[in-house]
Amino acid sequence: MKKRISDSIRRVDAFDKAGGITKYISDMDFEDLQYGRLVRALRSHARIKSIKSPKLPDGYYFITKDDIPTGGKNEIQQISNDWPVFVKDEVLFYGETVGMLVGPDRQKILDLEDAISIEYEELEEAFSIDEGLALKSGKIYGEDNCYGDYHLNKGDVKKGFAEAVTVFEEEINTGYQEHVYMEPQGLVGYYENGKYVIIASSQCPFYIKKAISPVLNTDQDNIVIKQATTGGAFGGKEHFPDIIAAPLAVAVDVIRKPIQVVFDRKEDLSFTAKRHPSRGIFRTGLDAKGNIVAMDVDVTINAGAYMSCSNIVLQRAIFSINSVYDIANVHVHGRSVATNAFPSDAFRGFGAPQGLFLAEMHMSHIARNLGISPVEYKRRYFMKKGDTTITNGIMHDEVKLEEMLEKVYAAGSIEEKLAEYTPGSGRGIGISFYQHGAGFTGNGEQEIIKAKLKMLKHGDGNVEILLSNVEMGQGLQTTFPKIAAQVLEIPIEMISCDNPDTSKVPNSGPTVASRSLMVVGKLVERASRELKERWDEDEEVEVLVNYIHPEGCEWDQATLQGDAYPTYGWGVCAIEVEVDPATAEVETKGIWTAHDVGVAIDEMIVHGQVNGGVIQALGYGSLEKLDYKDGKFQQNTLADYIIPTSMDFPMMSSQLIENPYENGPFGAKGLGELVFDGGASAFADAVEYAIGKKVYKIPVTPEYIMEVKNRD
Amino acid sequence: MVKTFHPRTLEEALKIRKDEKAIPLAGGTDLMVRFRSWAGTQPDFPWPVMFINHLSEIRYIDIQPKEIRIGAGATLSEVEQCSEVPKVLRTAVSQMAAPALRNLGTVAGNICNASPAGDTISVLYALNARVELTSLHGARQISIMEFISGPGRKDLGDDEIMTAVMIPIESFTHTLYRKVGTRKANALSKLSFCGLAKIKAGRIDDIRLSFGAVGPTVVRSVETEKKLIGLSIEKLKELYSEIRPDYVAMVQPIDDQRSTAVYRKQVSLNLLDQYIESLTMES
Repeated sequence: MKKRISDSIRRVDAFDKAGGITKYISDMDFEDLQYGRLVRALRSHARIKSIKSPKLPDGYYFITKDDIPTGGKNEIQQISNDWPVFVKDEVLFYGETVGMLVGPDRQKILDLEDAISIEYEELEEAFSIDEGLALKSGKIYGEDNCYGDYHLNKGDVKKGFAEAVTVFEEEINTGYQEHVYMEPQGLVGYYENGKYVIIASSQCPFYIKKAISPVLNTDQDNIVIKQATTGGAFGGKEHFPDIIAAPLAVAVDVIRKPIQVVFDRKEDLSFTAKRHPSRGIFRTGLDAKGNIVAMDVDVTINAGAYMSCSNIVLQRAIFSINSVYDIANVHVHGRSVATNAFPSDAFRGFGAPQGLFLAEMHMSHIARNLGISPVEYKRRYFMKKGDTTITNGIMHDEVKLEEMLEKVYAAGSIEEKLAEYTPGSGRGIGISFYQHGAGFTGNGEQEIIKAKLKMLKHGDGNVEILLSNVEMGQGLQTTFPKIAAQVLEIPIEMISCDNPDTSKVPNSGPTVASRSLMVVGKLVERASRELKERWDEDEEVEVLVNYIHPEGCEWDQATLQGDAYPTYGWGVCAIEVEVDPATAEVETKGIWTAHDVGVAIDEMIVHGQVNGGVIQALGYGSLEKLDYKDGKFQQNTLADYIIPTSMDFPMMSSQLIENPYENGPFGAKGLGELVFDGGASAFADAVEYAIGKKVYKIPVTPEYIMEVKNRD
Repeated sequence: MVKTFHPRTLEEALKIRKDEKAIPLAGGTDLMVRFRSWAGTQPDFPWPVMFINHLSEIRYIDIQPKEIRIGAGATLSEVEQCSEVPKVLRTAVSQMAAPALRNLGTVAGNICNASPAGDTISVLYALNARVELTSLHGARQISIMEFISGPGRKDLGDDEIMTAVMIPIESFTHTLYRKVGTRKANALSKLSFCGLAKIKAGRIDDIRLSFGAVGPTVVRSVETEKKLIGLSIEKLKELYSEIRPDYVAMVQPIDDQRSTAVYRKQVSLNLLDQYIESLTMES
């Protein structure tokens, strides 16, 4: 009997990873390996007057912008190309790359680093969103320091406000978050057979290739990116490896020896991109019965000194600002603001966790003001199939939130507990609802990515899947072959899906946006079906498939109107807490979740994602305080940047709802980010209930709870 | 290049200490972190380093009639698992770091690190612990309160090694240790509180109150405690509000990357109130 696709199997990489057999960047041996260390400008905004470096011993190099090959550009080709390889004249953030020291002995490199002196002319600095908007440090970007400035209109917000009896206004904020992937950033570069080779711990090998090609002034064909087994990424290795790869490539061009650049933890915490802090200012009009008749939201995110992917993050944040609710009349103004802060970048959820947190808290606050239970109030506005989305698209999904809520209530005996605990009693339950648009925004897959995938049947009957998506802990090297095995009806052991090498695999796109399993997995399914049909054609059979855009999914990127996403994952999360009256420490007593991920390709892997995602979100919501002061992240060790341990949260109950999506393999939808989207607001909501007062920001630390309790 | 020594005996260690000014390293759980350097390079120690954790002469826990002697080489895990060690200290130790670190770290090292947030220190202050400091000239003993004078500052001669920690054997009727850490495990303290009291026939025979991480050193005032000793529980209820301001004045925490001064102060006083209330309730 054929097994269900969802039945769990042992992960392909489990044994080697658990056994310490797998080799990561730092474990790899190279002959005559050199070490590279970034030399940084330790000012947030300054003009460099001079750089004095000591006389370098033989075999040591101080690579700077003067070493960029003839015709090469001092700019990294990302979505934008504003981020330079090496500081041009003006330093825009603390830690910006000035050069790279390279040599065989790391202690000597440290000594040389100490001997480099940089003279600065200090300039005015802007760190907060408001300072950026006020041009406190001048124009960092354009005329107004807004990388992106968008408006969304749904219904008629003016007419809505005219019907309002009361208008409720409030401001809610979210903080920075650090990825804390287990393996810090690391790359090795070398020159071989006329090609620049970079071995990278990354999510997007093809991004790196594109990023450094103009720097080296060489065709992309002369650059090879080899994916190293990657010890976690969470978005932190989506664009950031480009920032290291560019100076590394220049160094390789000069030195022509293998060079390793691996950040240690402190360097990684101090000098890599974080999640965008966000602010939402809500103005919501209510009629006499407390119904929402209009909502006007101003969303800003702190993007930092260079654009990177901030505008796409902003788009997701504003598309999420109504959470799972159908609000009739809405206006959203979104801006991604340039500041002299470290550039913010991709992080699991990509703006959605910020937008959803702001939205969920605001909805809970309206309900609490009206004296209605937040759950009851939110249910009135649940999005249904056929409803209009915030971008005036159509909700094509069957929305099963009611069924999911019922499952969560039953698992956690929520009804009984809510009846027992009174607000302010020290015990509370918080419930959040969330959705995550799976895959790229709008028609990005069709217009930009154009994914391709190859499958090969070899003479011995073994099958190879060639694609560019990477295993970074989420299980793709198990789930892709599993899909193929299910279709081909051959054992999974006969199918391989190795770390990509850009000279060998077609570009199936980056490993981002919860797209890999859904979009690329669908290509695996289609290619497998074709291969199965052509199986006996020849000894060796090659199948190449291209992405096909789902029908009825219309999008206009210029106006941000239409179906922002082809489908959505859905979630409900309930958290029970108890707040210590003396210390304001929070004990999380229970976690109950239900998720609609279409169909699970492997239940154990999905549960792993749910567990990891929810706990990471609870860290974001409760512990992971990251202050930015005088241009520096203050919590730059793992003793001070506090991520949860297994002791901090209890076992969680997680349930799945089947709701197949026809354009995903076997009905699967994206889920890696969805599972991060609801933990923070459920936690904050639970604390509000327990202390009987409103919270307006995350992380909800004991310090903040104490402050809130002392309010009034 | 860090010069390292691996003495075979305590006497050899004392000689190296005197001649080379080498810093004694037992578990290294603080030192190796403090002087860490780029991966692949040696730790950035400003002095030579001398390993001492293998010296059997200091690796013991000795239960004597009037006191417990914890050798400087005894690990935190050994202290945690020794049933004769006062429960309150074992509780504090069990909440430190993580099991692997407790298998390496020592109580003596925690004291010599002299951090106001050192988790054994607030408890040892309350327990009236003494430390033994040994040089080639012999050993001297001083109270832990005299030993530590500020963050990282201590009365340790450059020819001395801390060889033991002595804890008087006493019994208390009311003990409370509370660590408020940055999370539930492997956490540094935002603050800690230790309360020990002996209440006999409705009267306070003895009381000790100490606060960690709320000043340059652990805060404990024998003077203020004297005001409490001898009071009946009835009197304590009456006079506590007059004595409490002493602690309001003494607890002077700072804002840092782990917590805020406001929080530390309020929680310290909340825990003090809670502890004092527990004395009045159970009597």
